[in-house]
Amino acid sequence: MTINEKKIPSVEEVSNALAKMIADKMEIDITTVLPESNLQELGLDSLDTFDIIFSAEDYFKIKVPNDQVKITTLQDVAVLVHQLILSQKS
Amino acid sequence: MAHLSNSQRVVITGLSIVSPLGNTIAELTRNVFSGVSGIKRLNMPFVDEMDCKIAAQAQFDPANHFSKHTYSMLDRTSQIALYTSVEAIKDANLIIDDAMKPRMGIYLGTGMGGAQSIEDGYVRLYKEGASRLKPFTVLMSMNNAAASAIALEHQLTGPNQTFSTACSSSAVAIGEASRLIRHGYADVMLAGGTEALLTFGTMKAWEALRTLAEEDVDDIGASCKPFSVDRTGLVLGEGSAMLVLESYEHAVTRGAKIYAEIAGYGAANDCNHITQPSVSGQSATMQAALNDADLSANAIQYINAHGTGTKLNDITETNSIKKVFGSHAYELSVSSTKSMHGHLMGAAGALEAVITTLAVHSNTLPPTINLAHPDLECDLDYVPNHSKTLTKLEYAMSNSFAFGGTGAALILKKLN
Repeated sequence: MTINEKKIPSVEEVSNALAKMIADKMEIDITTVLPESNLQELGLDSLDTFDIIFSAEDYFKIKVPNDQVKITTLQDVAVLVHQLILSQKS
Repeated sequence: MAHLSNSQRVVITGLSIVSPLGNTIAELTRNVFSGVSGIKRLNMPFVDEMDCKIAAQAQFDPANHFSKHTYSMLDRTSQIALYTSVEAIKDANLIIDDAMKPRMGIYLGTGMGGAQSIEDGYVRLYKEGASRLKPFTVLMSMNNAAASAIALEHQLTGPNQTFSTACSSSAVAIGEASRLIRHGYADVMLAGGTEALLTFGTMKAWEALRTLAEEDVDDIGASCKPFSVDRTGLVLGEGSAMLVLESYEHAVTRGAKIYAEIAGYGAANDCNHITQPSVSGQSATMQAALNDADLSANAIQYINAHGTGTKLNDITETNSIKKVFGSHAYELSVSSTKSMHGHLMGAAGALEAVITTLAVHSNTLPPTINLAHPDLECDLDYVPNHSKTLTKLEYAMSNSFAFGGTGAALILKKLN
């Protein structure tokens, strides 16, 4: 995976990148990782979720404030990360 | 102090290793009794930045044995310990049912814990300027991570403790675990050690202590020369060794094979110097084990020495053996298998306990290799260069002495 640092990714592109991170980490079929997927139901515990947030920080070059990590679905993460990309790159 | 009157006998029913001499008991047996060296050129990306370019590495890729998810949450020190726990239980042919789980636990020794994980964190903070660390950093680097992973894997709800007394860590773990069974607190214990300290920072720290062996330019495998006049120090090694300990009654009831009995365990402290061993501390350790086993010194036929290959240790240990065993010191045999597998630090005592168990089981003494030029101050029978077979090896001792002063000795007995 690579990121074009000059281009702001769409929510869908963020979601796709996160889905790949989750599928790789949890060794599950990426087609089962859908935007509406509940992360807990995918097998991620709270530490796994923080690990994915951590990976997203590295990948998208952003910082996720701890008090904003209130996540249940992939879509929640994607929207949060997308907002942070917009705010922290503007 | 003799055994408590109502105590249980403790036997060894399972063995497993990840080591510089192989990752199965069959490989270890073949190599250690044939005098094969596991010391090689260090295979790490940072080798060019090391003054010391040799080590005893375990050829073991954990990625072949764990799911990616499990693998990513464990430091190498936990990965190899978890693997050996699974294999030891298999070797013991032990089925862990719900009734057994509260009566079974894990005592583990490690010197440096998750060295790579803590180092990765520091690199990220201090070198790369990151503002936060991976969420698993604490959970991977804490010293009890390996024991916890093992308990979780096998659902062992009995006692779980990690001992960290540097080079005697896992001998202490085995001794303390045997006492738990002996005194009725558990029926079965996994006991052993793990160490994966071949990281850049840790090796640099060891270099600074100036106790590491110089590379033998003619034969890297001969770089560790315990009891030899031209010895230059120890060689760092990595690995894990695990024993299944069981009360004799429990083992016999389920029809388990028995390798040997743990007849005694002694521990003492030098209180001399943080790195320099003393005859008083080492001899007190061995005497404590003899007292624990209620044995006279003449009963011991073989000692697997701590035998690091440093100038100071080998003479001190030799003199300590003479102090405890008197004239019998010249009749028993001593060897340092570190000449082959290097010094596994927190896991050393466990690997050497496994080797001593195999010796008792097979009536064969492993050699001290690279012993061509004996130090005149080291004048015992060190089983030089080739293994030796006895008609019957009934009692053997395994010594471990540590920086910080903590010594531990285990006595292994052939089961009659």
